[in-house]
Amino acid sequence: MDLLDFAIYVAPPYVVGIFAFGATYRLLKYLLFWKRAPRPERRKRGAGHLAKELVMTFLDPIIQSIKRKPHDFITGLVMLHILGVIPLIFLLSQHIAFFAYWFPPYALLEPFAIPLSATTGALSAVSPIKPVSEMQWGFVNTIWGPLTIILNGDVLAILAILGVSYKLGDKIVRRAQGLHHVRLGDFFDLTLLLLILVFGFLAAHHLPSGDIVTYRLMLGIHIILAEALVALLPFTKFWHFVFSFWFGKLHEWYDLKYTRGV
Amino acid sequence: MVEVDWVSYDPGRVKAAAESIASHMDPVMVHFIENCVSCAACETACPYYAVGEEYGPVNKAENLRKLTRSQLSILPKIFPWLFHAGVPRSAEELNKWAEMAYRCTNCGLCYVTCPFGIHSGEMIKLVRGFLTKTGRVPTALKAMIDLEVSTAYNQVEGFKKLWSEVLEKAKEAAGGELPLDKKGAKYLYITSLAEAMISPEAIVSAVKILSTMGVDWTMPSDPLSIRAPVGALAGDGEAAAETIKRIYNYIKEIGPEYVVLSDGGYPYTSFRFDLPKIVGEKPPFKVIHFVELVLEAAKRGEIKFKKGDEKVTWHSPCKMGRFAGLIEEPAEVLSMASSNFRKLASHGLFNKCCGGGNAIACVVLPTLNFLGKLTGMNMKISKEEMEFLKNLEHDMHIAGKAKIDEIKESGADVVATACVGCIHTIRMNARVYGLDVAVKNIVEVLADKIEKA
Ligand code: SF4
Ligand code: SF4
Repeated sequence: MDLLDFAIYVAPPYVVGIFAFGATYRLLKYLLFWKRAPRPERRKRGAGHLAKELVMTFLDPIIQSIKRKPHDFITGLVMLHILGVIPLIFLLSQHIAFFAYWFPPYALLEPFAIPLSATTGALSAVSPIKPVSEMQWGFVNTIWGPLTIILNGDVLAILAILGVSYKLGDKIVRRAQGLHHVRLGDFFDLTLLLLILVFGFLAAHHLPSGDIVTYRLMLGIHIILAEALVALLPFTKFWHFVFSFWFGKLHEWYDLKYTRGV
Repeated sequence: MVEVDWVSYDPGRVKAAAESIASHMDPVMVHFIENCVSCAACETACPYYAVGEEYGPVNKAENLRKLTRSQLSILPKIFPWLFHAGVPRSAEELNKWAEMAYRCTNCGLCYVTCPFGIHSGEMIKLVRGFLTKTGRVPTALKAMIDLEVSTAYNQVEGFKKLWSEVLEKAKEAAGGELPLDKKGAKYLYITSLAEAMISPEAIVSAVKILSTMGVDWTMPSDPLSIRAPVGALAGDGEAAAETIKRIYNYIKEIGPEYVVLSDGGYPYTSFRFDLPKIVGEKPPFKVIHFVELVLEAAKRGEIKFKKGDEKVTWHSPCKMGRFAGLIEEPAEVLSMASSNFRKLASHGLFNKCCGGGNAIACVVLPTLNFLGKLTGMNMKISKEEMEFLKNLEHDMHIAGKAKIDEIKESGADVVATACVGCIHTIRMNARVYGLDVAVKNIVEVLADKIEKA
């Protein structure tokens, strides 16, 4: 068994186990600190207002970011999140195949699969022949059609790599300026993400050499690093995507919009 | 009782202060502390970011994270340098923490801008609490807290004189004796010495409105506070709770249906939203601002407006707007009172902060001198604190410039607002930037325009 086999066929249950332990610990902490206290009378607003404000609570930071920090909006939100890691992680066809192996219902997302490269994507736009594939399902024919010229692993990975690099650079500059809110954990998390992206990209392109041993090693490193990220997720800032983003914004809505009637 | 101290460094005191802050956590604070991703999206929203990048919300709040990591987490305790954990280790560092903590108005702009709903201002408030316990608290603020908690302000000649003068004018406005401390009245009007000092006309106008409306009302014969709960501004939760409880007992003795305030700053939010948690029960009365009283009465057809054409605008105090939901209501009332009402460019949830809230405007040197003259109190200020106060005043002018700019842009002659701190700050900053504008409490603008229907 090499690293790749270990990463694909052995590690996942352990990774999920560590993640579950960490997540339980983080969530229990909230319960532990919870104290019951009488609530103020809320300022009553209509259901329509509250629903609109729920959406706005999530949208306002994005609007502010476009207005006040457009470069952060483009690199951080658009390149890194919206175009980069979110579709890459969840919809890259290879990822869907991997997730579906361990969790079969995940295969339901197959129609949304994103191909690995622009070549496969280009075929769906320019080829007069309906593509055929030996595989279980043909991801060239997914719902995205010609959009796959952009929506493909290569382009998205490059955008994500640029986004992470911008973030890393920004942190380095800030640290050099003596801003102490930049933490060691930020560098660790971003470097880990960057390495995952780079090794994934190398594996997908059979780099640095085309032999099978190197390929399996590159892909093995890519997957094992990604598994490290998932296992460490409750202890790093990646937790924001599983919990704190949703908790934070819902709490803010409950506090300002629901209770205080803002 | 903690003594003000801007000079020395006592490790025992620092340790005890850090332990005390770390023992007051709740799930929301845990979220604020643990879930920041350091994206700095919050920073440009902050009025003090204009002073320098280091005053961005996340950078200021990081001091609380350092402190709590050093107290509550295992690994950071063992490897503090690796996890950025620790408390100040010298007098200079303590002063630096104070410099950062006092560049926050608790305006909440960071709260609504953060993609994770993290309110750095609330964290900075805890840093202030820590600093207060180490002695790093502005002398003027400490004096006000002590006077308020002990109610010794009622023995200060200057305050007594000021209060009786305001009551005298209010009597004139009411056209007869004031119904003071009247048990069972439907409305209890609560004000403060700060309001009497900065905007006495607001008290007179409030009395005038209540008399015009012909409702059953009362007010305390003696001031209930300097500006309750002033302890909150220094992060001193105990002092704040003590004052709130004392006033709560007075209110219960009177037994009104409504408590009405003209001050829409933190006193309003404290009584409207924080009170139940502090006193441990749901109060048997409602807390409203004059804007709500007037708007409701107008909607019920009990009053009408003599509409004027003053060029008036509305500056929404952070505590009344973002933290109490009264954003459109004041604009609605003002447009009933003047055909020339105009909104500021930032009107709404992201209304710009005046730059001087959260005790900043009330501790800077001009206020200190004013207080000294009024009360005859001679506050001894160390060289270090003096330096701190001078810089703070300078930075307050920078932080408040955006507000002054948008007032200028609006072309208004009158700025209506509702918070003592906002009134004081905008007046000071308008002078600095050469803007000739009258800054009034909204009740002053409304008082002459209301008639009984
Ligand atoms: S916006 Fe929120 S998450 Fe980002 S740095 Fe500020 S407090 Fe932290
Ligand atoms: S509460 Fe206001 S002043 Fe304080 S850090 Fe946040 S944005 Fe800045």
